[in-house]
Amino acid sequence: MVPVRYNVRNLLVRRTTTLFAALGVGLVVFVLAASLMLNEGLARTLDRSGSPATAIVLRKGSDSEMPSSVEDRAISLIKVAPGVKQGADGQPMVLGESVVVLFQDLANGKGKSNATLRGMPLDRVQAFRPEVKIVEGRMAAPGSDEVVVGTRVVGRFEGLQIGQSIELRKARAVKVVGVFEADGSSFESEIWGDVEYIRSAFGREASVSSVRVKLDSPAAYDAFEVAVERDKQLGLEVMPELEFYSKQSENTSMFIVAMGSLIAVFFSIGAMIGAMITMYGSVAHRKREIGVLRALGFSRSAIMVSFLLESVMLSIIGAVLGTIAALGMGLVEFSMLNFTTFSEITFQFTATPEILVRAIVFGGVMGVLGGFLPAIRAARTPPIEAMRG
Amino acid sequence: MTLTSLSIKNIGHNWLRTILTVVGTAIAILSFVLIRTTLSAWEAGVDNAAQDRLSTIHRVTFVMPLPKRYFDEFNGARGRIDGVDVATFVNWVGHKHPVRETEFFATLAVDTATYFDVYPEMSVAPDRLAAWKENRQGAIIGEALAKQFGWSLGDEVTLLGTIYPGDWKYRIEGIYVATKKSVDRAQFLTHWSYLNDSLPEGQRDMIGWVASTVTDASRAADISAAIDTKFDDQDVQTRTMSEKALTMEFLGGASAILGALDIVSLVIMGIMMLILGNTIAMGVRERTHEYGVLLALGFRPKHIATFVVGEGLTIGLLGGGLGLLISYPLVEQGMGRWLEENMGAYFPYFSIPTSVAALALGMAVVLAGVAALVPAYSASKLDVITALRRIG
Amino acid sequence: MNEDTAAASAAQSRVGKKPDTSEPTVTAKRAPIIVCRKIVRSFWRAKERLDVLDELDLDIPEGSFEALMGPSGSGKTTLLNLIAGLDRPTAGTLTVAGTEVSAMGDAALAKWRSQTIGFVFQHFNLIPVLTALENVELPLLLTSLGSSERKKRAQIALRVVGLEDRMHHRPQQLSGGQEQRVGIARAIVHDPRIIVADEPTGELDRKSADDVLTLLERLNKEFDKTILMVTHDPAAAERATVVRKLDKGKLL
Repeated sequence: MVPVRYNVRNLLVRRTTTLFAALGVGLVVFVLAASLMLNEGLARTLDRSGSPATAIVLRKGSDSEMPSSVEDRAISLIKVAPGVKQGADGQPMVLGESVVVLFQDLANGKGKSNATLRGMPLDRVQAFRPEVKIVEGRMAAPGSDEVVVGTRVVGRFEGLQIGQSIELRKARAVKVVGVFEADGSSFESEIWGDVEYIRSAFGREASVSSVRVKLDSPAAYDAFEVAVERDKQLGLEVMPELEFYSKQSENTSMFIVAMGSLIAVFFSIGAMIGAMITMYGSVAHRKREIGVLRALGFSRSAIMVSFLLESVMLSIIGAVLGTIAALGMGLVEFSMLNFTTFSEITFQFTATPEILVRAIVFGGVMGVLGGFLPAIRAARTPPIEAMRG
Repeated sequence: MTLTSLSIKNIGHNWLRTILTVVGTAIAILSFVLIRTTLSAWEAGVDNAAQDRLSTIHRVTFVMPLPKRYFDEFNGARGRIDGVDVATFVNWVGHKHPVRETEFFATLAVDTATYFDVYPEMSVAPDRLAAWKENRQGAIIGEALAKQFGWSLGDEVTLLGTIYPGDWKYRIEGIYVATKKSVDRAQFLTHWSYLNDSLPEGQRDMIGWVASTVTDASRAADISAAIDTKFDDQDVQTRTMSEKALTMEFLGGASAILGALDIVSLVIMGIMMLILGNTIAMGVRERTHEYGVLLALGFRPKHIATFVVGEGLTIGLLGGGLGLLISYPLVEQGMGRWLEENMGAYFPYFSIPTSVAALALGMAVVLAGVAALVPAYSASKLDVITALRRIG
Repeated sequence: MNEDTAAASAAQSRVGKKPDTSEPTVTAKRAPIIVCRKIVRSFWRAKERLDVLDELDLDIPEGSFEALMGPSGSGKTTLLNLIAGLDRPTAGTLTVAGTEVSAMGDAALAKWRSQTIGFVFQHFNLIPVLTALENVELPLLLTSLGSSERKKRAQIALRVVGLEDRMHHRPQQLSGGQEQRVGIARAIVHDPRIIVADEPTGELDRKSADDVLTLLERLNKEFDKTILMVTHDPAAAERATVVRKLDKGKLL
């Protein structure tokens, strides 16, 4: 085989054109890695919102909490369903919540967007979501007009600083008293207040959007589901909370991945042509050299492999640069509309080893494809080229 | 022979590379045009949204309904608002196709008496309109939607309820066509009264929003304010704005994606510049000897630099031109047609704006020129002796 | 001018010192290593057939140092290419080192070259990105030798050409003469039976040219390499044991 250092040094000797072609590959890999990271960030944020052995009850046919409604009398039936866990206070662990989206001005002045307002029995939150921590101010008082806001929305929308207030309807405002953290979950993109106050403000007394239920164990789920869904009159649907959240991100995630891949594939044609130009140039420039290698007895396949390898090395350099740049995106927060819930969710570009490997492999494949034709041309160089002046 | 023709002849020096570069540039231009057209199609919603039609919604959240009696304050049943011409109301129903659940379209329960008066750009045959008004379970659908699901006049259609549970049966009584491109051609329009009568007592007599046209578009802001003042002392307050303003606000939610696409369209320009710069730099390297000869003949460094930049501009122009040439059939005929037909709700208007085409071509030429600057500079710094000595 | 003639006469006197008796006996006694029978090599230029070599017969005995001369276009480089296995005759049989190369496929020919032929080129043709040592080592990569053995042999070859101290230099850090000596080291490192040299002195000044020719002489005498050299240079031809002249595709 032709020694690898031969390729390495040739890339170094032609460093300007190597860098140009590698950067082209790098930009494509960057776009791909960034969109995969975005998708991962979204999935993680939503995944963290669900916990095992928790079920969510919605109106049948509802994709999300917002259009769903569950009447209070159904809640009392849910409380006595089999498998429902009893809390430390002896009460069944059942949480009815009212969810609306508020169309609020963005703090950056770029129009409006939807923030999720979640009303809940505030005294029971701690038992249900122990990961929630107040990081500033204090917790909203149960039964009051106070709300706390998630860390990710506090600066995103107008009127969400501590001490500010938002009017829900005439003379029914909510007052921000604290900021909370929820282990990076999508709850951090929400505003939380008292369920009674919020639902009466919107004239939605006697029903909630969703009911969350802690079960004795994940095994208790099936029996619980059967019991709740059996009553057709209630028209309810039960889902494990984890599944609910992964479904919430389905559409948006599909959109991100489809768009990212489409763009990456499109762009990769351009970058592959860049690599091809460089490799063709390299082959033309080294015609005599290749002839000498052939004269010395190196086979066509050895030459072919050598040039393919060079092209792959070139793209891997680019891919690594692109991946590093994408890793830098990890510091950036991204807010977008979740198509399923119509509300905004803020999350971070999140890298995983798998994403990095995929991005770099993609770059390598581009090198193989872009280098293929030039490598064939190299392999076709007749040994007699060595003798030409 | 002129200096320009010499620099154009140089392009033929390495045909394969020139073709690859032109194709690479063209593909970059195609991607750029595609992304930019998508962005502008999105924004076309804003540009084409009516300024003389007002939407009145719940002040705090669009998911909450208004009482039906608010509408009666518009149309004369309980009062009138000065400056409002005709008004109608709409309720978001959110039905889904029972099988193809993921294919989104807007199902709206409307006031059959007034809806098409407020939306004159949606045109339906008079006899069809009359038939629809007669049949409480009748529906008028957009032509794009009819095509999407293969529905035609007289079809019985069952949709799946989400907000309003259950199976909902309708009969297609009419198909509307759009006389303006800004219209969503995939709406499914049903009778509000049918919906209302089907609901339990406590949920009745609520509407999603009121849409009204104004007699004088220049007074739209004043009229909006007058409407909101009217309901200010009520339990539920309203927010009224022109369709255009509303659309603009909604785009705020998509701003992150739009911003990301914006950046991505610049990234492809970066890739293009790298390809161009690479080609030109390689050409300069290979022709060092040739440049040496030219310098020896008495050409000045500025001539050499002109050759190089001229070559870059020509390649940029060729690539940009080819890119536009393939963009029109691919983006407008292929993809645009598909999007308008299948995703008309998101992209009612998908064609390449002249400004995008001009920008793309301009970018190709300018970036090619910029990409040629560095090689041109180094070529102009060549020393005759070294240049002549270097072969290949 | 003076220097050149002086160098040339010095070269002549060295040739003169060679034992006169040894050559004919060697050529006469030993079997031919290169056998050409009715070799034809044609090229087509715009539909016109051009016979660069026309039914050429040639026997070269093992261990000889032969120079091939002739005006340009006479077919000498074409003949060299054929003998070196870089090209195949249009007709006729060519047997080199016991193998009928005219009947071999590309891959087999490549393998055969790597074992049988050492190349010395007019333009040296060293790989610019590799050091002298790495260039010399190159042919050994096609053998099964381990890396330390390869390195050892490459060093020995460089020692033979007197450039052991330059082994870590890149080609552009060497003079033309040094580059050609590295080229010769590369030609002998895998111990081929035949060395083909195409205008080995064509790019060199007289002094360097003489050094290279002396080196080739040594390889012929001490290491018993059969050397076939195409040259324009009469001084180079004089070093050979046999000088053959080629014109219009035929041996004179």
